[in-house]
Amino acid sequence: MLDWKEIVRQKLAGLALQPEEKREVLEELAEHLEETYQSLLRQGISVEDAAQRAQSEVSDWNDLRRRIHSARAKENSMTNRVTQFWFPGFLTFTISMGFLAVTQKFGPLPLMLRLDHPPVLMFYLPWLVSLPLVGAMGAYLSNRAGGSFRLALSSSVFPVLPIAGLFLVGFPLSLLIEHHVSHNIMVTAFLIALCLWVLFPGVALLAGGLVVRLYGIRLIPSANGSARLQASSSQSKAQ
Amino acid sequence: MIGPGIKRGTAELAVLSVLESGALHGYEMARRIEQQTKGALRFTLAALYPMLYRMEQRGWIRGAWETSNNGRRKRCYRLTAAGKKKLSPLRKEWAELFEALRRLTKVNHA
Repeated sequence: MLDWKEIVRQKLAGLALQPEEKREVLEELAEHLEETYQSLLRQGISVEDAAQRAQSEVSDWNDLRRRIHSARAKENSMTNRVTQFWFPGFLTFTISMGFLAVTQKFGPLPLMLRLDHPPVLMFYLPWLVSLPLVGAMGAYLSNRAGGSFRLALSSSVFPVLPIAGLFLVGFPLSLLIEHHVSHNIMVTAFLIALCLWVLFPGVALLAGGLVVRLYGIRLIPSANGSARLQASSSQSKAQ
Repeated sequence: MIGPGIKRGTAELAVLSVLESGALHGYEMARRIEQQTKGALRFTLAALYPMLYRMEQRGWIRGAWETSNNGRRKRCYRLTAAGKKKLSPLRKEWAELFEALRRLTKVNHA
């Protein structure tokens, strides 16, 4: 008996869709070929001829693969962007900012960095320590949705992007508009604050994201339905 | 020469029309079109599915997995509200085109 699922799977091996979507397409096409084949057999056509005629439904599998990809991927691009970047990005942002707020309210006193003059910079160490996990979550979600390496890492560092924007655009703009910055922030203070609120958190988030992407840590459903963390660097590299 | 736009238009009209009477899976759809047009229109797998996926993405039809009596899973397609809305002007356009061609060929033969 012919295994149409296997035949279709081999013929459309390079179909670049998300795993679940690809599985559904393969199943649907295999079902169509199976029905064609069975119908021909019912008409009294020999097994070999029926198989050949069923397969003649597709004259060029490469062309079919391209057309299926084009039909599904074009319209999916917006959905993909949401699931591969915006959703993980906003989630990491919300969680990291939420944890920062909780740390500020209930956590230990922040590290105080006193400079020569009035500026005093505050920094929350527990928040920084939590960020690799948050970054890893962002990369994992993006990865699971089929996001590329770049998108996964962008989702990881998403929480610092608005802060970076504030520092790099907001302060220069306020200097231009108001000709001074409140609290007498000096260049040194600005750079230190940039490191404390953008660079270090960014590196922490990125570290978590990189671990997920490079070592392929993913949640794999186990046989009993629960989930476990599995690291498979070879799988990740293969992707 | 019938261009790809016209071919695509007739194919879409055929699919929307055949789905108007109820949900069908791909194989049934192809057979129904072939029977109803007495073999004049025949969709191979390679022609049918990319078009179905495109029409689904446009929101004209919606596919859902259903399990048949013999336990086999099949993806059945239904017309959506947008598909029903699309069908009426599409029919009108094609009716106008065929009428225009009929008039033209009559004139030429007269």
